[in-house]
Amino acid sequence: MIVCVAVVGHQNNPLYIQSFTEADDALKLHHIVHCSLDVVDERVNNPKKSGPTLNETFLGMLYPTENYKVYGYLTNTKVKFILVTTDLDVRDADVRNFFRRFHAAYVDAVSNPFHVPGKKITSRVFADRVSNIVKSFGFSPTG
Amino acid sequence: MEEYPGELRTPPVALAALVGCPELHSRITSHLHAEQPPINALALPDFSKITLFARTPKENAGPGRPVDGILKRDWLSKHRTKIPAVVAALFSSDHISGDPAQWLQVCTDLENLKGVTKGRNIKLIVVVVTQSSSRDEISEDRMIALRKRAEVDSKLRSTLGELANTYYRDEGRRVKTRVDRKSSISIELHIRYCFKVGVYAEFRRDWAEALRLYDEAYHSVREMVGASTRLSPILRLVEIKTVAEQLNFKISTLLMHSGKLAEAIIWFRRHTDTYRRLVGAPDANFLHWEWLSRQYLVFAELLESSSAAVQNISSPTSETADKLTEWEFYPAYYYQSAAQYLKQKSSCLELALSMSEIADEKNGSNESVIDSVYVGQFARVLEHGGEAFTMQPLTDEEFIRYSLAEGKRFQDSFEIIALLKRCFEAYNKNKTLRMASYCGVQMAREYFSINEFADAKQILDNVANLYRQEGWVALLWEGLGYLRECSRKTGSVKDFVEQSLEMAALPVSNTEDAQFFKDCGPAGPPSLLQREMIHKEVFGVIRGESEIALNEENNHLKVTDCHPLYLEIDLVSPLRVALLASVAFHEQIIKPGRSTMLTVSLLTRLPLKFEIDQLEIQFNQTECNFIIINGQRPQLAAISNVQPGRRVEMAPALEIATNKWLRLTYDIKSEQSGKLECMYVIARIGPHFTICCRAESPASMNDLPLWKFENRLETVPIKDPALASSGQKAIQVEEPDPQVDLKLSSSGPALVGENFVVPVTVTSKGHSVHSGELKINLVDTKGGGLLSPRDVEPFSTDNLHVELVGVSGQECEDQSDAGSDNIRKIQPSFGLISVPVLSEGKSWSCKLEIRWNRPKPVMLYVSLGYNPCSSETSSQKVHVHKNLEIEGKTALIINHRYMLPFRQDPLLPSMIKATGDFDLTPILPLKEKSILLVSAKNCSEVPLRLLSMSIESETDGSCTVRQKTEDHMEPAPIVPGEEFKKIFSVIPEVNPAKLKIGTVCLRWRRDSGDKEQSGSCTTEVLTKQRLPDVYVEQPPIIVSLECPAHAILGDPFTFPIRIHNRTQLLQEIKYSLTDSQSFVLSGSHNDTIFVLPKSEHILTFKLVPLASGSQQLPRVSVTSVRYSAGFQPSIASSFVFVFPSKPQFRLSDTTDTRLGSVAV
Repeated sequence: MIVCVAVVGHQNNPLYIQSFTEADDALKLHHIVHCSLDVVDERVNNPKKSGPTLNETFLGMLYPTENYKVYGYLTNTKVKFILVTTDLDVRDADVRNFFRRFHAAYVDAVSNPFHVPGKKITSRVFADRVSNIVKSFGFSPTG
Repeated sequence: MEEYPGELRTPPVALAALVGCPELHSRITSHLHAEQPPINALALPDFSKITLFARTPKENAGPGRPVDGILKRDWLSKHRTKIPAVVAALFSSDHISGDPAQWLQVCTDLENLKGVTKGRNIKLIVVVVTQSSSRDEISEDRMIALRKRAEVDSKLRSTLGELANTYYRDEGRRVKTRVDRKSSISIELHIRYCFKVGVYAEFRRDWAEALRLYDEAYHSVREMVGASTRLSPILRLVEIKTVAEQLNFKISTLLMHSGKLAEAIIWFRRHTDTYRRLVGAPDANFLHWEWLSRQYLVFAELLESSSAAVQNISSPTSETADKLTEWEFYPAYYYQSAAQYLKQKSSCLELALSMSEIADEKNGSNESVIDSVYVGQFARVLEHGGEAFTMQPLTDEEFIRYSLAEGKRFQDSFEIIALLKRCFEAYNKNKTLRMASYCGVQMAREYFSINEFADAKQILDNVANLYRQEGWVALLWEGLGYLRECSRKTGSVKDFVEQSLEMAALPVSNTEDAQFFKDCGPAGPPSLLQREMIHKEVFGVIRGESEIALNEENNHLKVTDCHPLYLEIDLVSPLRVALLASVAFHEQIIKPGRSTMLTVSLLTRLPLKFEIDQLEIQFNQTECNFIIINGQRPQLAAISNVQPGRRVEMAPALEIATNKWLRLTYDIKSEQSGKLECMYVIARIGPHFTICCRAESPASMNDLPLWKFENRLETVPIKDPALASSGQKAIQVEEPDPQVDLKLSSSGPALVGENFVVPVTVTSKGHSVHSGELKINLVDTKGGGLLSPRDVEPFSTDNLHVELVGVSGQECEDQSDAGSDNIRKIQPSFGLISVPVLSEGKSWSCKLEIRWNRPKPVMLYVSLGYNPCSSETSSQKVHVHKNLEIEGKTALIINHRYMLPFRQDPLLPSMIKATGDFDLTPILPLKEKSILLVSAKNCSEVPLRLLSMSIESETDGSCTVRQKTEDHMEPAPIVPGEEFKKIFSVIPEVNPAKLKIGTVCLRWRRDSGDKEQSGSCTTEVLTKQRLPDVYVEQPPIIVSLECPAHAILGDPFTFPIRIHNRTQLLQEIKYSLTDSQSFVLSGSHNDTIFVLPKSEHILTFKLVPLASGSQQLPRVSVTSVRYSAGFQPSIASSFVFVFPSKPQFRLSDTTDTRLGSVAV
């Protein structure tokens, strides 16, 4: 189950962060997402370590922590997507698929002429769409 | 890791026992220990002790009997320290070769030994120790008898090693057969046997085998979780976990030591994933978290101590399905997890303790609980008096009570902080600041929980900065919440107020998110409601209406008279969100004394409205400061800080609502010129609270931190959009208009060489001039730079094209004040002159003397700075600037020419040769007179008067320069464009390589006519120009035509041609003469003559003119054969004027010379 998704801007500031569980403390998830930015930085700055993931938006699993696994995604505009899940067995393909759909939703949200780039995403439509994507995580036929 | 028994932590080492010959034991032991692989030795002094190895009879015979536990606690240490693999029986050779009684003893000992070792399959080795000196005494047959089983000492070690290996293999095999019969034995036994075989394999250093067996045992343990029902559930889980922990430790160690770091990490990840959810009964869940924390801690320590950690970090096994992240290679990651689980344990323990305390308090039975014989089991010891006791297994309840009591004895917080500090430091070293921050927050929470507020504050202050910078509001909220409580606890009112204000102004909106936040520390979940509560609380404190209550003591903190509070908000302060002051003048420049508008805009992000009692606006010019008083609460506002004479404005209300600019516009005027800048806006709330905000310009205002990421409408501080984008908090106050005239006058262009005079007049027209200063600058109009000596480092007057020579004629109409403090500073391109005090209507003038050394246009800047009033204090200087472009021109251009005397031509051979490369340097004949014509042309636009022209020769005697004409006593006027000429004769006396002729000196002045005023323009100027050097040569032959100046028609005259040979040689000269129509000629036309050395030959012709007027003489050409040089007189010199009859005029000297000079 996905417990948290986040969009992180250029200054490593949260543009959108949403928890999907009441079982875990949202603050802890904020901490986990914030810490994962260190891993993203390291991946991006030392691309040779990650080898084949060079030039790829999907960063793979960033790190496991406690019950969670944290996945990352870096768009061409250097906006970061972070996904925190509690699933033990996660297929890469599922995560990739999730991020692809999430990215599409993000692009639509920031293409809104009333959205100011660099500001938090407050669109309700975006939130609903994200929540749908989160719910369907792991059930997609592409799997 | 330290809590594990030593035998588990270290790799197993084979054990051998030594019996007999105790004097040799220490040597053999140390020898065995030093070998590779080492063998531990158990030294038994005599054979009576061998019963130690004897197998104790086991009471459990039947296989059907249920097993009490999985692993026996002491089994491993028994095999590490008590049961040897080999026993080496040492016999002295004396005993063997000695008397029969001794031999018999040896045999008995051996028999006993065999009896004991058989029972355990311990290998036996018999060693005969011989003294080298006594070897001969051993009888041969006895040696043979013993040698069957004995080896010499040198091979002892390898034999021991081999035998030990054999023992462990055999034992392993023996147990393994039981393992293979898995179906028939209980799972506990299966695990036990697997473990034993694994350990035996480790004794043999067969790591792969050991790993395989431990792995099998581990998996069997995992299977047990649901299956076994032997013990009560809590105890069972504890035992299973303890065994799994041991096996995990063994496996991790083995993997890591064989360099398979990635595999070890994957193994460990599986291990924790498997067991993490096995929390067990809720009232004993703290045991689970403690166990899990220990797993991480031990693994972290293993990882840290493993040297392979560094090398293998770059090669995570990518083929495995579970990709490892680089983070999992850092020990810090595991320390952090260990700390997190320990924290979980401590909170669970707290909960469990609080529950149990309600139940009962009888700790008496705890002391007798000890570890039981099996790993992970506990038992109570029931004493039956004296030595006798029995062990009684515990029930779940008893065990929990025991664990709670144990748990109470330890302070987990220190342990957690120690762990977190390790990762905090490691992360900081790695520059992974966010991870470090998270560790920091966790540390701070722990410090807070144990009331170490100073430590917590120090960490949180740093961490909060990162969160502020990156805009993580929720995290900042939590941190500030802790900080606020720390301040409250430590009684720091200022910090408390600052943190409260910042928290209240954080961009936290009341969304549905708030429900997700649970554990946010003392601040509670971030929400608008919380912000409002904090706002109310802090404003109560600020206004002095309420006080901060401290938990302990009855100490209350309050903002009072004796503890006033002063906050300062600068441009980078996080408190800008609480109060932001933007100040803009409506104009950019004003005249002094004129008023302009000033808008002060205040913005707050605090959630609730609040009122400011008094607002003070401070400027860099303090006399402009003013105070705005809240009209709603005049009694409060007027109380303090109003200095007498200060301007006070009354505003109808000074209430600030969240995110709404409070705009206040007032007029302001300054009498003082210069910059007027608004520095601070000081808000006073309540009698003792002050916030000082640094004023900001709307044009250069930074976004509010944190709020800039919020998707909200941006508001501008000023309604006028132009001011909002370009308004400044500073304004330029102009100088008062000068009421003094500064006049520069110049009389046309300056001439090079003269001291050009520029009169400067200062006339007061309304202002009196006090402490006036005149600054003079000369600036190159082309280059732009100052003509200062700095540009040309070796300072000399030659380098200065234009220089300010001096200031003359400082005339003051009011002489009394002149020269009071006369500053005078003259540099070549800069001057500073003080102007005396001038009262209204008076004027003062001076003359600047500027000299041009080269022709150059120059800009002259003159600026006058003065004080309109005499008082020294007001530094209101008024400045007047004037500039004037002056062109410097060359007045006279001096030219010169060399000529030979009329109709006289010396032969100069080098002149003939030098036709190829045309050398402009003239060649003068030695000791012959040459004529030098010097001309001076007036190139200026003004008439000049030439006073004299002369040549100063530089070297004495080398040549004679003489004026051909006498000096005119009357100065010669030269109008523009006119040329003045003067003739000199030059006779070189010696023959140097180059002859220096001298310098032309020209004295002149401007010709201002008769009406000129004496003084200014009539100064004489001396212009000097050095004449270029000339070559001098000795002419070998000189030809001169000695024709008379004029002839008379029909009157014959002689036309001698004088050829002077000045050499020591005979010169052959050819000459020819062509006829002329105008003359009848007598004499030979062509001939060759010889001229004797140092003599002269005269060719004489007689001519009769046939026509009158200017007639050409017959042309003669003379050729020197020796120099192959021909000579023909120039056309000009071969004309003569023929008068028709004898002219009737008198020839005087003067007319003769005048004629001569004009004819040139």
